[in-house]
Amino acid sequence: MSEKAKEEKAYRVLESHGFLQRVVFRYMLEGHAASEEGKLAWVTSGFPVEIPVAMDVGVSYPEQYGAVIGSEKAGPKLCGYAEELGYSQELCSYARASIGSVKHPEESPLEGLPAPQALLACNNICGTVLRWYDAISQMTGAPVFLVDTPPLEGEQLPHHIAYVRHGLDDLVSFLSEQFGTTLEEDKLREVTDLATETIGVWTQCLEACKNKPSPLNCADRFLAMAPVVAIRGRDYTLEYYQMLLNEVKDRVTNGLGAIRDEKVRLLWDNIPPWFRVFRIMGSLAKRGVVFPADTYTHAWTGSFKDEDRMDSIASMYSNVYLNKGLEAKVDKMCGLIKDYDLDGFVMFSVRSCKRYSLGQLVSKELVSERTGVPGVVIEGDMVDSRLQNDAQIETRLDALLEMLL
Amino acid sequence: MSNAQAIEQSERILKQLVDKGKPILGYVYPHTPLEIIMAHGVMPALLYANPTVMGSYEASLQTFACSFVRNMFSQRVNDQLPYVDGIVFPGNTCDSLQNLADIWHLRFPQDKVFRLTYPAGNQGEAAIQYFAEELRIFSNSLEDAYGFPFSDAAFRQAVILVQRFRNAVQFLYAARLLQPSSVPYRRIAAFVREFHSAPLETVVDELRATVNDVEHSLAKTGRVDSTKALQHALLERRLEDVSILSDLPTPRLAIVGGMTEPQAISELVNAVSKVPSTAVVFDLLSFGFKTIFTPMPAFEGDPFETMARSVLGALLEPTQEGLPKRLDFLKAALTHLAIDGLIVCEQSFCDPDEFESPSLLAVASGVGVRSLRLPVDPEFSDRVRLEGRIQSFLETLPHGGAA
Ligand code: SF4
Ligand code: SF4
Repeated sequence: MSEKAKEEKAYRVLESHGFLQRVVFRYMLEGHAASEEGKLAWVTSGFPVEIPVAMDVGVSYPEQYGAVIGSEKAGPKLCGYAEELGYSQELCSYARASIGSVKHPEESPLEGLPAPQALLACNNICGTVLRWYDAISQMTGAPVFLVDTPPLEGEQLPHHIAYVRHGLDDLVSFLSEQFGTTLEEDKLREVTDLATETIGVWTQCLEACKNKPSPLNCADRFLAMAPVVAIRGRDYTLEYYQMLLNEVKDRVTNGLGAIRDEKVRLLWDNIPPWFRVFRIMGSLAKRGVVFPADTYTHAWTGSFKDEDRMDSIASMYSNVYLNKGLEAKVDKMCGLIKDYDLDGFVMFSVRSCKRYSLGQLVSKELVSERTGVPGVVIEGDMVDSRLQNDAQIETRLDALLEMLL
Repeated sequence: MSNAQAIEQSERILKQLVDKGKPILGYVYPHTPLEIIMAHGVMPALLYANPTVMGSYEASLQTFACSFVRNMFSQRVNDQLPYVDGIVFPGNTCDSLQNLADIWHLRFPQDKVFRLTYPAGNQGEAAIQYFAEELRIFSNSLEDAYGFPFSDAAFRQAVILVQRFRNAVQFLYAARLLQPSSVPYRRIAAFVREFHSAPLETVVDELRATVNDVEHSLAKTGRVDSTKALQHALLERRLEDVSILSDLPTPRLAIVGGMTEPQAISELVNAVSKVPSTAVVFDLLSFGFKTIFTPMPAFEGDPFETMARSVLGALLEPTQEGLPKRLDFLKAALTHLAIDGLIVCEQSFCDPDEFESPSLLAVASGVGVRSLRLPVDPEFSDRVRLEGRIQSFLETLPHGGAA
């Protein structure tokens, strides 16, 4: 692309994205190597991954792979293969795309995820993951292990933490048996320390977006979040986030925003439509709209405390965003709107994801009431473009922007 | 009795109870611990999807909420739950219900909304301890809301009543399998519905009388002992030694699915002209077999722990067992109970149903049993088409569905 064309884009590309691609590529290679050695587990996005990592078990993230499928616009085809097997189109499209790609890896981006020897699910994001992994287990023969983190209402009570802690101890036994490894306290400390540090740097990147103009837009963060979701607890991941933070700080110092002419600052709620996110963000950027905060990338925050590490893991993974009630979600959105000084919000109602999306109609009203800013609900999907009506989304976004521009 | 009549009757009974000053606590999940609720002097009433409800959920729920959840919420918006003084939602069972409780609470802050959170997966003793504590918290919140403390005597009485009910219906399930002419499936479904709508002595007394009649009919063919043995085998989930005589009427249909209501589905099947009354011999529905074959709580020890063991001992719930176990049981049931047709009900936008049905159908096909996948909603809004599909399915069965 010529310098002139680059200059004309409403959107500034991050230099650190090159390194990000190498990080993700390395992680893919590690996954393949682990699978060939018979030591690969698939894990859900909210799984306490520090435990398998500390036990030297390789991990791959089907949800992240779902995002790749979505971005590559392979969703309809792969989801269609799952539907041919009898899985309804009404089910989560991450699950359908993953089932489809197990059935037809040759037609999947990067030839599918490497074959798993275990399926590790944690239901702190939804109940769907267990049923999805059960289905994958039927196809691959890999056993499922569930870490059950019952949803929280208010404070986590002692019996809840004891129960989750028990599940983590069982996980260690399961992994030991399945992969012939052990968990060393020092190693767990090392991995969780690294994860805490990585999350800390990532959080600084997020918080830098309180500046005006915002140094990152949400599409930047959606891309940049991949390692903090999937590869925290690795030194090269930390290296990447430090590089990103430096770039973000540079932008702030030089008054450079993620978009060239920031006029309206919005909150994005929920997973993005991976197959369309850059187009949507790009066209909004041209109109001066930036998203300095979103609920999705802010879900990977927190730190492991210096107490017993397993207890700390039990507490951190039980308290993730999606494992709490609607009130907590409303509080979080109101907090982000206030802290990032946002003018409005966009709620993406994802047909695939009941846990994230059901309740948005109510929370939209509450958030507007409490913050005084307007919002809009648009409906679609993160992977399956057949479930999305772009024209309707555009009309709704226009209506919101009319109030704000 | 038709589904609509059953709704009317249940409303009449609830009204009488309310007039006598009894608070009614609605519940939606089949494995709700009725005994704990009754130990607080409160009447638990299962809330059914109402087929006549006008959809009024749109301001609060998206269309991709499951059909059951949309139906329940619409009933509340339309004030169609007049006798219910509170509702208990399960936590951690499915995503739709999990979120519904929050939405309900925010939309109707004046309602008494309780949540009882269940452990998921098969977590052994840790799950029992966790759930026992959840039950204790639930019990405390009932006391706070209604002002009646937990009564040991009322708990004991409730345990006995529920167990008498389950025992009797278990026997009817077994009788139906061994001699379908001895009791119609719709009669069993009606009892299940009546008791869950209001667990009263009168229902159990009537049920006992039916059991006596059925025993007489079985005695004539010498099948009382084998029926009891089958009841036991079903409870133990050990079907290998069960044998079904070959002189029984065909076809022998089983209905499987989650929150599909037995009485509603039995009414639908019966409406198909060529279906003989002996056809539906078994179900694996949440409000049917899965709850009825729940083990009885022990009397000794901590009541919450004993209840936790009972509830989590219920068979075949997706929240409590891995899929392989459920599939193994289905395979055993199809094979040893001589089932020749399987109807797999699937509620729209129900994740548990829709994830499971491909595996259920594969099991049936693996053992050579024909199956029909039946997408339904609680309103059976597509009734004519559903009947047509059942009709065509029967025609594909080896015995052609002829009476
Ligand atoms: S249902 Fe939602 S949270 Fe669960 S796997 Fe799908 S997208 Fe993720
Ligand atoms: S029908 Fe399915 S999704 Fe709906 S409440 Fe019941 S189990 Fe949940």
